[in-house]
Amino acid sequence: MENIYDDVKEFLDKGETVAVATIVSTKGSTPREVGAKMVVTAWGEILGTIGGGCGEADVRREAIEVVRTRKPRTVRVDLLDEISSDSPAVCGGIMNVFIDPWWKDEEGDEKSA
Amino acid sequence: MDALVEELIKVKSEGAGAVLITVVESDGVDGLDSGAKCLVRDGRIVLGSVSDPALEQRIVREAAERLAEERSRLLSLETDSGGQADVFFEVMPSPPKLIVVGAGHIAVPLVKMAKLMDYHVVVVDDRILFANRERFPEADEVVVGDMAETVKDMDITPTTYVVLITRGHKYDEPCLRELLDRPAKYIGMIGSKRRIKACFERFKEEEQISEELISRVYAPIGLDIATETPEEIALGILGEIIKVRRGGKARSLSRK
Repeated sequence: MENIYDDVKEFLDKGETVAVATIVSTKGSTPREVGAKMVVTAWGEILGTIGGGCGEADVRREAIEVVRTRKPRTVRVDLLDEISSDSPAVCGGIMNVFIDPWWKDEEGDEKSA
Repeated sequence: MDALVEELIKVKSEGAGAVLITVVESDGVDGLDSGAKCLVRDGRIVLGSVSDPALEQRIVREAAERLAEERSRLLSLETDSGGQADVFFEVMPSPPKLIVVGAGHIAVPLVKMAKLMDYHVVVVDDRILFANRERFPEADEVVVGDMAETVKDMDITPTTYVVLITRGHKYDEPCLRELLDRPAKYIGMIGSKRRIKACFERFKEEEQISEELISRVYAPIGLDIATETPEEIALGILGEIIKVRRGGKARSLSRK
């Protein structure tokens, strides 16, 4: 299995800040389990998945902000849309996603907020 | 001190078990802001620090428990000074080890599937024509040698899964004898109900092996999914291993 931290290291070595989004808790039915992760770059490029769909798009948007501000935040993703709707968010659950910025400061030490 | 990312990569490449602890939210805990991290490995904090000793102890203890159940979790921890922190324990379990004894028709698809699922896979057979790299390019280790002797000398831990699928009971049984009192998470053995019953009776009567030890064995091996081909049988075996690892409820052929 791919190690997501190999990707993180690659970006940090290039001097970039990335956001690591992790599902830290869930309620009800969600597309992925607690601990699932994805890396989001400053340009919104995504590595890994926390389940796809519009929930992931919301997290991606927030993650770009986290990269910019270098301040972590927690995003609540609601997947409670009506089952009859066209929305992909019909899993029925809620997940909390912690988004954490990682970067390498000038002394070469890796930092996360 | 190595930086955190380097250490996390090292943990993964060494196949070590570790827990990354991240503060998601905190209230009234000095030095533990959102995003603060530490890494627990081998029962202690190896990177990052927690200033409150009581909290540090709690974190190390929780990390050990999370690692044992192989499950990441968000926990709310309180400090003696009345502070509170929501802390995420991200488990990086050591990869489970699968030992496949017998390198026949079932072993080939079984090894492939187990590698897809990130197991550390070891294949053992006493015939070099079967136990070789050409036949098992994905395996982490291929061992040629007397099967029971090899199994006896192997490191077997609570994250080890052993599948006995040799070419006959003559070979499976001595291996099983070496395994019964070892701490493997799973021992499965192939064979018809009749032959397995005979084997277990013999173990009980002639060798005074306890019912308790014998009842650990998944035999006939695999889930009850009416498998026919070697590939299907391999899938049934791996399904059973996943069931044991994750605590599932599907029915096994051994009625477990």
